Formats: sequence, structure tokens, C-alpha cells
Amino acid sequence: MEVKQVNFDDSPPLEVHDLTVAYHRKPVLWGIDLVVPKGKLVGIVGPNGAGKSTLIKAALGLVPVSSGWVKIGGVPARKNLKRVGYVPQRESVDWDFPVTVMDVVLMGRYGHLGMIKRPAARDKEIARECLEKVKMLPFANRQIANLSGGQQQRVFLARALAQESDLYFMDEPFAGVDAATEAAIIALLHELKDRGKTLMVVHHDLPTARNYFDMLLLLNMRVVAFGPTEQVFTYELLQETYGGRLTILSEVAEAVRQRG
Amino acid sequence: MGVYHRGTESTERGGGRAFSFFSVSSVPLWLILLCFATQNVWAVRIGEISETTFGEQVVRFFTFRDPALRYALVGSILLGINCGLLGGFLVVRKMALVGDSLSHAVLPGVALGFMWNMTKDPVAIFIGATIAGLLGAVVVNLIKETTLLKEDTALGLVLAAFFAAGMVLITIIQRLETANKSGVDKYLFGQAAAISLEDVKLMSAVTALSVAAITIFYKGFLVTSFDAGFARATGFPVRVFHYALMLLLAFSVVISLQAVGVVLVSAMLITPAAAAYMLTDRMHRLLVLASVFGIFAGACGAFFSFLRPNLPTGPFMVLGASAVFVGAFLFGPKHGVVVRWWMHRSRAHRTKRENTLKSIFHVLEARNFHGEGVTLAELAERRRETIEEARQQAANLRAHGQATLNEDTMYLTPDGMQRAMAIVRNHRLWELYLTNAAQIAVDHVHEDAEKIEHVLGEDVVRELERRLDFAQKDPHGRVIPSVADIRKAAAAPERVGATGYGN
Amino acid sequence: MPDLIPTFSWADVVLAPWQGGFSADPATPMGFWQVLMGFFVGSACGLVGNYLMLRRMALVGDAISHSVLPGIAIAFLVSGSRGSAAMFVGALLAGVVTTVIIEAIHRNSRIKQDAAIGIAFTSLFAIGVILISVFAGQVDLDQECVLYGEIGTVPLEESATIAGKALGPTSVVRMGGVLVMTVLLIGVFYKELLVSSFDPGLASSMGINATAMHYGLMSWLSVVVVSAFESVGAILVIAMLILPGATARLLTNRLGVIMLMTVVHCAVSSVIGVHLAYWLECSMAAAIVVAATGLFVLAWIFSPSQGLLRRAFHKFFTSGEPVIENGVSVKPA
Repeated sequence: MEVKQVNFDDSPPLEVHDLTVAYHRKPVLWGIDLVVPKGKLVGIVGPNGAGKSTLIKAALGLVPVSSGWVKIGGVPARKNLKRVGYVPQRESVDWDFPVTVMDVVLMGRYGHLGMIKRPAARDKEIARECLEKVKMLPFANRQIANLSGGQQQRVFLARALAQESDLYFMDEPFAGVDAATEAAIIALLHELKDRGKTLMVVHHDLPTARNYFDMLLLLNMRVVAFGPTEQVFTYELLQETYGGRLTILSEVAEAVRQRG
Repeated sequence: MGVYHRGTESTERGGGRAFSFFSVSSVPLWLILLCFATQNVWAVRIGEISETTFGEQVVRFFTFRDPALRYALVGSILLGINCGLLGGFLVVRKMALVGDSLSHAVLPGVALGFMWNMTKDPVAIFIGATIAGLLGAVVVNLIKETTLLKEDTALGLVLAAFFAAGMVLITIIQRLETANKSGVDKYLFGQAAAISLEDVKLMSAVTALSVAAITIFYKGFLVTSFDAGFARATGFPVRVFHYALMLLLAFSVVISLQAVGVVLVSAMLITPAAAAYMLTDRMHRLLVLASVFGIFAGACGAFFSFLRPNLPTGPFMVLGASAVFVGAFLFGPKHGVVVRWWMHRSRAHRTKRENTLKSIFHVLEARNFHGEGVTLAELAERRRETIEEARQQAANLRAHGQATLNEDTMYLTPDGMQRAMAIVRNHRLWELYLTNAAQIAVDHVHEDAEKIEHVLGEDVVRELERRLDFAQKDPHGRVIPSVADIRKAAAAPERVGATGYGN
Repeated sequence: MPDLIPTFSWADVVLAPWQGGFSADPATPMGFWQVLMGFFVGSACGLVGNYLMLRRMALVGDAISHSVLPGIAIAFLVSGSRGSAAMFVGALLAGVVTTVIIEAIHRNSRIKQDAAIGIAFTSLFAIGVILISVFAGQVDLDQECVLYGEIGTVPLEESATIAGKALGPTSVVRMGGVLVMTVLLIGVFYKELLVSSFDPGLASSMGINATAMHYGLMSWLSVVVVSAFESVGAILVIAMLILPGATARLLTNRLGVIMLMTVVHCAVSSVIGVHLAYWLECSMAAAIVVAATGLFVLAWIFSPSQGLLRRAFHKFFTSGEPVIENGVSVKPA
């Protein structure tokens, strides 16, 4: 393989090649191929158990991969995590944890700090700006438990902003938030996109998916379709994604789990 | 194991509960009889035996002539039954450490019971300890309900706080001269020799109660353990069952204290039940097995601590239980690590053989099936291996009756040919399926099919074939062997080389 | 039973410990070293314990403090001395072995983590107790030392000297060193510990090795445990891993404040506990825990946000239980 100087700006922000992921030996994603262009807002859509969150986690190296590879900005993902922002599902953390909103947002800066360095004034400034953007600055010193679901989601978003990444993975940022927050989040996503960021957003709600995203990734254990929303959002493709026509795929996955 | 099997049969007939009640509850009965059996009395406390040899002690143990020994043994067995039964519920309810907490929490109760009239009065201690244990359980729940502290913190907190209070009381008691020989410190690590006839009576009563309660209300305990929400919706008093379980748990902890000690009671609750959990998937069998393991562990402790003076009983019981667990963990027929490793290994071997068969098939296919023999050189070239490796694989196939070897030429037996075709068929059908139905790029499907071909079952393959409209060719344009082809191969006469198959 | 609780004498209980005594350095009173030791042990345990609680592993502390026993016993049998270096190594290994066994059991079987913890530490502890009782003649340890280990006798130990200057009883000096190291480690790894406890997913996505953090924490826990309990007993260690942090958690929502209050809690309970032990003539370690429990109960009753009193108050005036929602009491609708 030829070695060349890779510049983030001209290699695709996210490139996934033949990615297969298995949980407890049971495959949940088969042979995923993706090349995501820069500056797009991509919705990841599919039924429950389609592997949407798994795709994100695999890209971030949070789950072991059976085969294939993921490149971020032309570099193996594990080596380029500083350029990636991550918004996990809201339920994945303990909201009773004794930290303030500000502390959580500052965590977004940790990737940029070394082992020893403490968040400096500049990091705090960035965190404040990010909170301002999600209209949560007045809550900066609140303990995170004292927030509504929508506010918690905004805090997570602010944290991702503070990561100052070029590529964002968001796992169901709209789950369980009020309409105002949903509108605010989508405005923010568009703003990020306009600044040349790439966003991969797991989304549950099909009707709104059409309006929110530039591109859609229809996922059901494999890539059913990936392309501009207007091309992909068709009855046939959605039928194929949600219709469960590929029961054999999950049957075989089960067989692999039992025998593998 | 006999118990285990009979349990299975009667359940299938629908009467499993009645059965386990009689078999388990009869154990304490005959144990009590054993206690009262008139024998020559060697009235020596076990802990004080000093100038006997190892062999003599073993003989003494198995002749059961010593009443103190009989009490110790019977007591250990009873506590084994109790702890196994209750522990079964703890382990499946993911409450294992509740047992740990509760067993430490009884200590202040033990001390207070002792202070009642400054003797080791089993009843006073029993009552005090039970109250302390239940109080501990209530405090854990209260902390969980009223504060932000999580369950593990609440458990650890109660454990430490109650235990420290108990230690304060015990050190105060020990300061008093009258109590110096009381043996209250034996409650920390356990000494089965300290079990008296009164203790045995109490233990039998508690065991009978636990066994009866669990047998009669088995359904309630089961459903509230498995799915509290559903149980509440169905009208089961979940809270009552929870506290009933806690009460029985406190009972079994308290009766175990003398022999096992506060610190290690939790092991008797957790380990036998965990071992049983490795071996069975049914709750009632789990409970019976856990009790059996508990009995074994209890007897182990009584035996080993008898061998030499001043050996504590509890740690030996725990090691007995741990040994059972390690056995179950490694050699359990279904979930055991060794069994799983062995199956994995034999599958890996089979996969290797199947890959060789496939390569042979490919060689034959490449020359349109002209001539039946495939030389080792051809195979090695196909698999990009050395001749030696190819020879080894050929020998392996021969050992499994899938090929014969004449000089350096291999011939597939009908069985081998059939298997080779089936694998190739699986591979190609799966590739076709991934490309056509799942629309995965053609250059990706091969690697996946390499793995999947070995695990596809016959029914899945037929289903695949049907969905692909009985396609004849794979995405790369090669013929997919059909069922008819495979049958034909099976029916072919066996080709026996000069020094061939069976040699 | 009049002799159970001795009469309270101001001079004996409160003043005597602070007057010069039998300690190695006659100028320094007994009580000083006892309180200091209680404080050092409590703080070191409490600070580490805070992270255990945040990771919902409070009982792993209990487990490790039991399972270091065989490590210590074997180290003793091998080295033949109570030298602290061998003990440290033995305890550290035992701690890591416990962690590995727990992981091995719950990863390779259907046994859940809590049961795996229970199996691992009881087995190791049993081995330790058996080793000690079988080699009773050769081991200058006894099974009870693990539980009792007496803080009261700490001032009688030989004084540790550095550069010819007597610093104080060896175990107090050692524990002080461990406390300083604990504070330093938490200072250095504050970010990593925080983010890997709060959101392991985010931590990994930033390249923080969660497994390394886990084993690091467990190893340090073993070090704290072993340096503490030889002289003060396991019970103080187990309790102080949890009680100070839990008390602080009832009073504040800020991690920094929790850390501070942990230290304050340890100081207060150490002073009260030492005097309590002088009064009741009981185990000093246990008395410190009882004092610490007292502080917890006070916090539980009077906490402004989670207190029992506040709940009762609500119940009385609004005829409804206050609802704890996301950790704050909110008025019932």
C-alpha cells in the first residue's frame, strides 16, 4: 500500500469498509461499506436491532470489530479520535452523578488536554460558548440531576460542541426531548453543517427524518441504501429496511452465535 | 444426582413441588434421628482434641461415635440445605451481596442476644440476630428509597456500620471477665464444634420452616423473583415476598453463624447456588442442587476442621463450596468453560477439514472433474501451503473417512465428496444471497461466506435456495452444486486405492 | 450490668488521651497518634471509596479488603518477616488476582458480577484464614488481626526515622505517605477518573483506556487496604471506603465538595471515635466507625435535599410524599 500524506480536508471524514460487528459472536452488522462526504448531515435510520448504535460504537472503537476497518479523515479511526465528537444516548450515564453542567461540558475538552493538564481558562471559555449556543449558560452551575430531559440532551450537545470536532456521532439526540429542544437541536446541527462539519445522527422517527437530514443511511444489519434524502426516502427502500425481508440474515446470525 | 433426576421426572408430571418437599424435608428428619442414635459417648469437645493422629481422627469422623461431632456434622448439613435454598434465590435475583451485607448486619444482634443474660443462649442470640438482620435489610431499603445513594453503597454502608457496632459490643463483652470463655468470638470465623444439641434443634426447626415455606409458596417466590412488575400486576404481594425472603435469609444466616462465622456466611449463600446455576436452567432443580452442594460443603467443613485442633470450620466449608463451583465452572455440561472450549476446538478442527475438502473440490472443478485423484502438490498449490501441510491435512481427512490416500494422490470418499459439495453449495448460495438480497458488494461476500458456510443448517440452506429461486450460478458465475448432485455423489461407488481407505 | 458501660469521666475520656503517654516519643500524647492514624486511614480510604461508589463498586472494596489476606499470609510465609515490602507486593498481587477472578467468572459464565465478587473474595479469604491457622506456629499473624487490628496500640510502635529525625510511629508515617500518594494520584488522574466513571463510552472515544483505569484503581485500593489494615483492621477500612463519601453525597452534589467533606468527616469521626473507645474501652477502629455512622445518620436526618426530616415535613404539610425526581425533591403536583 502506498504511503501518502493525508490531509483531512480532502479525504472523506468517514470511510467504512466491509465492517462486520458481532456481539457475543452474534453478528449485528454485516459488510458495511460507507464513504460519507464532508459537510453533510446524515440520518441513520432503521428498525430496532438494526445496529444503528452499534455502527457508531464500532466507528469509535467502543465495540470490537470482527472484520473490516474504519477511517476517519483518511486515518484509522483509533488514531484520529480527537477529531470526533460523540453524543451517547442519554440513558447511558448516571444523571445522579455529582457533577455540574459546566463539569460535563468541560469533559468535552479532555481529549484536547494531555494526561496531566487541567482545563485552562480558555477551555472554560469554550465551554461557556458552547453552553450559550444551546441556551444552557444560566444552568452552568447546576447539578446535572436537576435538569429536564431536554436540558440534559442540550448539555450533551454542548459537550460535543466543546470537543471542536470535524465529525460528530450522535445517538438519538431527539429521544425524549420537548419540541422546543428538538427545534433548537436541529438548528444547531444545521449550523454545524454549514461550518463544514459532518454529522452522523441516529434517528428514530421516520416522518421527520425526511425534513431533517441531507442524506439518509437506511440500515438493517447491512446498508440498505445510502444517499441524498430525496433519492433514498422511497417507499420501496423503506419497505426493504423495515419490512423484515431479511429474516434469514438474523436467523443465520443466531446460528453463528450458537455454533461460533 | 439421583435426587436431581427424580426431580425432573416428577415435574414433567406436574408434581415437582410435592416431590422436592418430601425429599428435602426428610433430610433434616433423619439427621435428627442420627443425632439421637444411642452410641458410646466420647464426651470430648472437638476443638480440644490434641494427641490423636490424623488417621485416628478420620476413623473417628466416619464412625460418628462422638456426639459433639454428630452435632457438628448435622448442624453443618442443615445449614448447607438452608443456605443453598435461600442462596438460590439471591443468585438469580442478582442479590448475592445482600447476603453478605445481611450476614455482617446480624453481629450486633448476636452480641445483644449474648448480653441478655451473659451466656450463649441460642434462642436469645437467634432472636437478637434475626432482628438485627431484618433491621439491616430495612435500612438498606430505606437508604435506597430516600436518598441518591445507590444499592451497592447502601449495602456496604449497612454492612460496615452494623458490623462495627457489633464489634464494639463484642469487645466490650470480652473485656468482662465473666465472658472470657464465652466463645462469642467464635462467631467471627465459626467453629462447628461449638454446636450443641439445642443449636441442632433450632437449626432443624428453621430448616423445616424454610423448606416448607419455599415449597408451599414456590410459585410466589418464583414470579416475584423473576419479574416483580408482572407479579405486582398479577396481584402477588411483592413486598411481602421480599421481606419473607429476607426473614428466611436472616434465619439461615443466624443458624449458620456458629459453624461458618459472620465473615464467610455469604459464601455459603452464594457459592453453592452459583455452582448450581452453572449446571441447570430450571429454578426448582437449581434449588435442590444448591442444597445438595450446600450439604457437601457443610460436611467438608465439619470433616476438615475435625482433623486438627483449632482449625476453623467456616473457611473449609467455603473452600468445599468453591471447589464445587470450580468444578461446575470448568466442567458443567452446558455452560462449563472446558466443554465450551472443547466444542470450540472440535468445531475449529471440523472447519479446517471442511476447508480442505472444499479445496479438493475446487481443484477437481478447475479441471471439470476429469479424473478423480488430486495430488498433494495440487492441493498444496491451491491452498498456498507446503506439501507437508497438505499431507497432514490429507491424513486428517483419511482419519475421518473422508478421503483415501494412494502414494501422493487423494481420492474423496462418497462421504467426503458429499461434504465438500455441501460446503461449496453453502458458500455459493450465501454469496449469492448477500449480493442479491442484501445487496452487499460482490467483492465483500467471499470472506463472510468463508465463515458462514460452516454454520449453515440444512433447513436454512433450503430456505436460501428457495428465496434465490433455485439459482444455478453464484455471483462469480460458478455452478452451485444442487441437492441432486450431492445425492449422486453419495451414491457413487467407493473408489479404493491400492493402499487405500481403511488401510 | 453496670460494668458494661463504664461511667463517663471527663478527665479519663477527654483529657487523658491528650496528655503525654507511653508512646515512642514521650512528648507526644497517645491520642494524637491514634486520631492522626484514624484520620489518615479514613481519608485515604474515603477518597478512593468515592470513586468506587461513583462506579457502583462499593462492595468491591469490601471484597478486596478481605481477599488481600492470603497475599499477606503467603508473603509472610515466603519472606518470613512482617517487612512491609513483601506484604505490599503480596497484597497487591492478591488484589489484582481478585479482580481478575471476578472478571473471569462473570465474563465466561452466566454468573453475574455480584455473585462473582462474593465467590472470589470469600474463597481467597478462606484460603488466607486456613493458611494462617495451619501455619499458626510460623505466622506471626492471627485471623482476628484482620478484623480487629488495633489502632489503640499504634503509638507504641517503633518510631520511623528519616535522616535521623524521629517522625512518629511507623504505621502512621506509612499511612501518611499513602494518603499523600492517594491525593497526588487523584490530582494527576482527576480528569481520567472523572470521565471514565461518568461516561465510559465517551472516555473510550477519547482514547482513555477504561480497563487500565479499572485495574489501576483496584491496585491502588489494594495498596491502601494493606497499608491500613495491618494496624487498624479491615473493618475500619471497609467502613471508611463508604461512610465518608456517602455522608458527603447526602449533603452536596459537587464532586470537589464531596472530596473535601470526606476528609472533614474522617477528621471528626476519628476524634469522636478515639474518645468513644477510651470511654467504652472497646475496639478503637470499631468505635471510629460507629462515630462515622453517627455522622452519616445525622446527615441522613438533616440533609436539606434528601433528609428524612425534610420528607417528614413534606408529608405533614402537603399530605403527600415528596417525590425524588432526578435526585431532587420536588413538590408533589
